[in-house]
This record gives sequence, structure tokens and C-alpha cells, in this order.
Amino acid sequence: MLQLKQLMHKSLLMVVGSALLALSSAVYADGDAERKASFMPDIPEPMNKSLKCVKPEEDMKKNHMSYILHQRDKTLREGIRTPTFSLKECINCHVPENSTARFGDSKHFCSSCHNFAGVTIDCFQCHTDRPAGDKKHSLNTSSLPHYADTSAEGVSK
Amino acid sequence: MIEKTINFSRRVFVEKTATVAAAVTIAPGVFLHQVAQAKPADQAVTSAVRWGMLIDTNKCATGCTACVSACNEENGIQSHDRPATDQQWIRKVKLRDTQTGHITSLPMMCQHCEKPPCVDVCPTGASMKREDGIVLVDKHICIGCRYCMMACPYKARSFAHETVTDQKDYAPRGKGTVEACTLCVHRVDEGGTPACVEACNAAEHGAMIFGDLKDPESNISKELEKHGGTQLRADLRLNTGVRYQGI
Repeated sequence: MLQLKQLMHKSLLMVVGSALLALSSAVYADGDAERKASFMPDIPEPMNKSLKCVKPEEDMKKNHMSYILHQRDKTLREGIRTPTFSLKECINCHVPENSTARFGDSKHFCSSCHNFAGVTIDCFQCHTDRPAGDKKHSLNTSSLPHYADTSAEGVSK
Repeated sequence: MIEKTINFSRRVFVEKTATVAAAVTIAPGVFLHQVAQAKPADQAVTSAVRWGMLIDTNKCATGCTACVSACNEENGIQSHDRPATDQQWIRKVKLRDTQTGHITSLPMMCQHCEKPPCVDVCPTGASMKREDGIVLVDKHICIGCRYCMMACPYKARSFAHETVTDQKDYAPRGKGTVEACTLCVHRVDEGGTPACVEACNAAEHGAMIFGDLKDPESNISKELEKHGGTQLRADLRLNTGVRYQGI
């Protein structure tokens, strides 16, 4: 009787152990197919894969919120508009220009992970969740970087 | 003939570019004169400049709303067909002298005071003035109490009552916060001029001049020195950054 109980206990442990093993291998699997098969979120790739993020991926995963928070005060209060930790540049690189995905959809870069982690953010109640593209002011013919005009006419002006 | 003209202008363009390049490369860090007005993006604004605007009400056309629509387009301000509560960063005001019947038309917006009452009353520090004199709302910490709206003698601020969509990437706006004219700070930081001024010039009225009040060589300072300008409600001693002529 005791032996049978021990055996059952052992087999249960083995089942749980193998399940855990399978789960962890799914988590660490490198490749889209495996990732999709696992419970991990499907995070869209950046627009230009040849471009590197401003910080290593692991660092960004952990600390992106502090970088953006720090930059927002510098920009608003001191007028420092460097692109490195600008939310605008995050969006420009990570969200396709003609994307229909809005923040909240699982296909949007930010919400793909935030939905998964259950972390609510209010960035996009005010900030746009898509790249600006050519939505500039019709009167603006400036060749300044913010309004980069690639047409020959705009450059010679 | 046309081709010749194009070649000529192209040559001039190339020559000019070469001259500027030569001027810049004379020695590292040494500039013959400041080539561009824009400050470097990584440097903070300083109190060495104070941005201001001068409006000539005699040139401002009655019925023209070019500045208002330019502002709305630039900053993505949408109407909800509720004029009493719709956001407005700039509006046209018509004054009629009952004695003479003379009608004055002028644009009215945040006056970018040196001593802004909206900043005094803000309980969170969201209402703030930059070093270069531009008064802004930090919507990250604005709680929407609207004290600043009541404190402002110019009725320059408005409250976002509705969810905002399709914001411009350079002008974040959202429900539950107070907003006002930013003097197109995103343009100014890159050496540009506010959208309303551009629109006024495009409409060939030229009633608005934007510039640095602390630079005696700027157009605005020269014009103010020559013809003067008045502050609205000067009795409040707020030292406004926006000045008017002809009232």
C-alpha cells in the first residue's frame, strides 16, 4: 500500500516536472513559430531590422519607462529635443506608418507586451500611437529636420 | 531661357552652400557668425532669449481667421460643435468703439506673461514658464482642476472635455487637462515661427511679428522701439510677451 502511494507520488512529480520542462523550453525557444506557439506575447518587429535600438533589448525591457520619464521632463521644461529616448522616435521605429493598430490592440508594439503584463499606461491618452508620417502643416515648407521635406523644391527654398 | 535661369539659381545655391561650408570649417568650434538661429537639440533653453509676438491690429483684417485655422490645423484641435466648451488656443476678438464706431479686429491667445497668474495658482506645478518665457502646461502632472483658467485675465486657456484622437506627434493633447497656446514651441525650438504668424504672412496681412524681445536686432524689437506696443491689461503688471499696436 505504502509502495503504491510512493509510486503514484513519483509519477505525479515526473508529470509535473516534464510539463515544466516543456514550458521552459517553449519560453526560451528562439524563433517566431515557437514563440507564437508558447504563451509569450507576439511582439511586432521594428520597422527597420537593421537599426539597433538605442539600448540593448534587455535594458529597454527593464528600464524603458525611466528613460522616457526622464526625457519627457527635459523636453517639456528645458526644450531638449534629442531623439534618443523620445517617445516619438519609439513609435516611429516600432509602429508601421500606415498601421491600423491602435494602442490597446494586441498588434500594437506597446500594447502587445503591456496587455500581456497587465500594466496600464496612459501615454497614449495624449500622445499619438502612430508615426506622424507626412501629417505636417500644409503651410510648412521649412527644410528643418522636424519638417524634413525631401522634394527638390523644398530644399532649394 | 528657362533652363538658363534654373542653372543660374542652382549655381548660386551651390556657391552659397560652399561659402557656408567654408565659414563653418575655418576652425573647429569657431564660427564667423551664427549660421542658424536654432539652438542645438541637446541644449536647454536659456533666459538669454525671450520669445514674444507683436500684433498690428491695423493690419489684422476683420473676418479673417487664417491664424485660428492654422493653429487648429497645426495642433490638431477639433471642434465638437459646442462653442462654449470647445478648446481654443487662439481666437479673433472684435472691438467696437461706441464713440467713433471704429472696429478693431485682433487675435487673442496666451500672452506668455513674465509673471503668469496661471503659474502662481497651479497646485501641482503643471502650469509653468520656460526659461525663454514660453508659458506651458505640463499635461503629465496637470490634474485638470482649472484654477489656471480662472486666474488667467485673458481667457486664454481651455479644458479638454472630450477624448482626443489623431493628435499630432509634436502636440500631445488629452482629455482632462488644460491647454493653451504653446507659441508653437516645437517649431520655435527648431528655429521656426508659430503657425499663426506663418498663416498671417501667407494671407498677405503681415499683422503678426514673432521674435526675441531680448535681441535688439530682431524685427520685433526694432518695431517695438520705433513704434511701440501696448500690453493688454497693463495695469496687472504681468509684462506680457505678446504686444499689440493700434489699440
